[in-house]
Amino acid sequence: MENLGPTLTILLTLVRIVLVMTIALLSVPVMVWVERKVSGHIQNRHGPLYVGPIGTLQPFADALKLLLKEDITPANVDKTLYYLAPLMAFVPALMTFSVIPFGPWLKIADVNIGVVLILSVSSLGIYGLVMAGWSSNNKYALLGSLRSSAQMISYEIALGLSVIGVLMHSRSLSLVQIVQRQAETTWFVIPQFLGFVLFTVAAFAETNRLPFDLPEAEQELVAGYHVEYSSMKFAMFFMSEYVAMLSQACVLTVLFLGGWLPFPIIGPLVEGLLPAVVVEWVMPLFWFFLKVGGFMFFYVWVRWTFPRLRYDQLMALGWKVLLPLALFNVFLTGFIRLSL
Amino acid sequence: MQEELILGYLPILVFLIIVTCVGAGMIIASALIGRKNPNSEKISTYECGMVPIKDARQRFDVRFYLIAMLFILFDIEVVFLYPWAVLFDRFNPVIFGFIEMVLFIVILLFGYIYIWRKGVLSWS
Amino acid sequence: MLDILVPDFRVIAPELILIVTAFVIIFWELITRTARHGMSIFLGAAGTLVALAVTASLAQKTISTFGDALVLDPFASFFKMIFLVGLLLTIAISTRYMVDEGTKDHSEYYGLLILAVVGMMVLATGRELITIFLGLELMSMSLYVLAGLFKTDVRSNEAALKYFVLGSFATCFMLFGMSYIYGIAGTTHLRQIGRAIAENPALLADKGLILGMFTLLVGFAFKISAVPFHQWTPDVYEGAPTSVTAFMSAGPKAAAFAAMIRVLMEALPLMKTDWELLFTVVAVLTMTVGNLVALAQESVKRMLAYSSIAHVGYILIAFVASVGGHADRALSAILFYLLAYTFMNTGAFAILIFLRREGISGEKLDDFAGLSRRSPIGALAMLIFLFSLAGIPPTAGFAAKLSVFYAAVQGGYYALVVIGVINSAVAAYYYLRVVVVMYMQEPATEGGYAGTSPLLWAGIALALAGTIVLGVLPGGVLEAARLSVISLL
Repeated sequence: MENLGPTLTILLTLVRIVLVMTIALLSVPVMVWVERKVSGHIQNRHGPLYVGPIGTLQPFADALKLLLKEDITPANVDKTLYYLAPLMAFVPALMTFSVIPFGPWLKIADVNIGVVLILSVSSLGIYGLVMAGWSSNNKYALLGSLRSSAQMISYEIALGLSVIGVLMHSRSLSLVQIVQRQAETTWFVIPQFLGFVLFTVAAFAETNRLPFDLPEAEQELVAGYHVEYSSMKFAMFFMSEYVAMLSQACVLTVLFLGGWLPFPIIGPLVEGLLPAVVVEWVMPLFWFFLKVGGFMFFYVWVRWTFPRLRYDQLMALGWKVLLPLALFNVFLTGFIRLSL
Repeated sequence: MQEELILGYLPILVFLIIVTCVGAGMIIASALIGRKNPNSEKISTYECGMVPIKDARQRFDVRFYLIAMLFILFDIEVVFLYPWAVLFDRFNPVIFGFIEMVLFIVILLFGYIYIWRKGVLSWS
Repeated sequence: MLDILVPDFRVIAPELILIVTAFVIIFWELITRTARHGMSIFLGAAGTLVALAVTASLAQKTISTFGDALVLDPFASFFKMIFLVGLLLTIAISTRYMVDEGTKDHSEYYGLLILAVVGMMVLATGRELITIFLGLELMSMSLYVLAGLFKTDVRSNEAALKYFVLGSFATCFMLFGMSYIYGIAGTTHLRQIGRAIAENPALLADKGLILGMFTLLVGFAFKISAVPFHQWTPDVYEGAPTSVTAFMSAGPKAAAFAAMIRVLMEALPLMKTDWELLFTVVAVLTMTVGNLVALAQESVKRMLAYSSIAHVGYILIAFVASVGGHADRALSAILFYLLAYTFMNTGAFAILIFLRREGISGEKLDDFAGLSRRSPIGALAMLIFLFSLAGIPPTAGFAAKLSVFYAAVQGGYYALVVIGVINSAVAAYYYLRVVVVMYMQEPATEGGYAGTSPLLWAGIALALAGTIVLGVLPGGVLEAARLSVISLL
């Protein structure tokens, strides 16, 4: 880190924290809008249209509406857990951003256990779902939370295992060093393509996105674990899901797609045309969010392409396909690294 | 050295505090701002409009417990693999570190095959 | 660079053999998908015999490896022999029983038995707290499952659950104690803990160290089922499958003793005065409670459970005596006692299994009525086992008790010896009551015992041979035990 005075360091850190939080929270309405708009066009509709230019302000209107809605607390709930659950889902989802480097200068902290911290913090989010399902005292909520926790812990193993190949290349758990290592060698998506695919599939399941959205399967469970939540508490679950999606996309970008590094060939061409200040301060963020945005589009694209899995298929995929493949990937990487 | 290490984590703690405050603030704000107009129908448990049948907290499938136990087993395995993966090509002799991990995983694979053949992983 | 040292695999050779055996047994059934009982028995017995041969060939060696976390010395070898003999006996007596009970989990049963023995061996070999904990957990986990092997039997389930809950609780205590000792001594290695205390005698008065030792001993006391941590024993022993009970009452206790002796002798020898008093009280309580409650039992299985508590009390006398001048004699008495107990107790349980047939559990006192007429050989074998348990010459039990009391007399613990002798007299009553029923009552039902197998007879014969040989010629084994404990002192 730069050698500045303590006051300035603290100030800078605070500014970074505020910036990261703004990005994370503002991304939710953006993502919601993108999702609705893209969904609309995939289905030959317009999507949101009236609030703001081409409907961009629609998510904000929704948020305001949710804030002003009546906050219903059902009679049979376990009050403490019921109120804590949205917080338990919300905080871990945002906490993953504490170690994600958006660019060389925009990161809250660079600790040498970054990857482990992300995985452990994001798995804490399961507590939020379990607490919500249990405290609601509602059959749909309980079933939804059971399903979703079983699903998330099942895919977490594949998720964790698919990262190991990356670590064998990067020799570090720090996300900044992982990106730097990719600058020295190549994007890890190339030597770790299998790991990349596995991570992407597991990330879809971890964020309960279609085709893995069984916890919410509207036709069976109404809305899953948050069926008894209203107003802002519902909004918090909603937000934590989108924030979790964003953080998974960010982690994917950092681990496999070189983080803030420019695209090869096109990158240097574009950067050659721009002044040095912009290249140093703005372009890393641009590349980063370009990649993340690509993933967001991919999320929506997949949503309208694949049908939902059955629960037994889902568990079988996680345990019988992804897990062995991820282990195989570890062996394969080991063999390749040793023979080189 | 030690101080630097702890200082590196300080921003994370600050972030945690801020995030928790924001989250708690949202819950409190909605509780204060939103209208309050409860009636007995509105605050009853939702069950597609029916009067709820019995308590929701009933026994559920034992397989959820099994999955949770397997998760603990395999997640610990993953955690063991992390430091090994980072130090992977710094063992001396290199091949020995790899063989040790292969043995470790093979032993776990025995357990994996066992649960598979015993039908723990099939949900139909 | 991280240098990896190739460990000396001789130290864990028997363990490795057994682990491979267990895997092969379990996977043989898994792959062939046929419940081939015979195959499991054959593989299990073969693996055990090979491990026994390897252990015997290494018995005189002292090797340490894995950074001195594991040490193979004569002490460990002696205990390994006890465990393997116990395993062999258990495999022999469970063949018929498992078929009769109609359980389908043969391969798991033998696999878990063997893995439990691996845990015990690690306990006896471990010279480091974490390693000892690892062995203890491997042993305990296997036993929890074994106790609940009969999934449809309520008593078996109850036994497994009680054992698991209370066992986990005891494990917590033990871990707590270990963490305290580690916190104060700064190391988990037993010898280094001993050195740290010797170099800094102020530690002896440290409340944390005393608390650590105390909670650690609570954990051990649970595992050896010493009063007041014995409550789980009767229910678990009664509910568990009889062959598992036979196994549990000998091997795991010996393993817990092995680890306890090593921890106290290598790490905490300077705290002798603290644990001397502790064990004196526990020994008296254990003997007395075990024997008095055993008097009131109508179920022979439950009676044997209480009697096993009482035997722990006798062994603890020798443990207290080790503080006195002749530690080698006292400790070798413990080793000898445990070996003798393995033979006579497993033998007694083997007769329970022998009695079992359609509609008769073989566990009630009435089931023994008139056994002498229906099966003279079975009755005679039971007679010898019971004489041995009661400590009547010329059996192993007598020699074992004699060596324990002798060590206590030499150490000057006369009061303990007197209490021990009185207890033995009380114990003779309930053992002989079974003899009376066998020989002097009319059989309730006619007919012989169809469901016996050659292997069961072989197991009984082996137990009988051990009981008699150790009783008639105890000298050689006692001397071997004495030589094996010298390295600890």
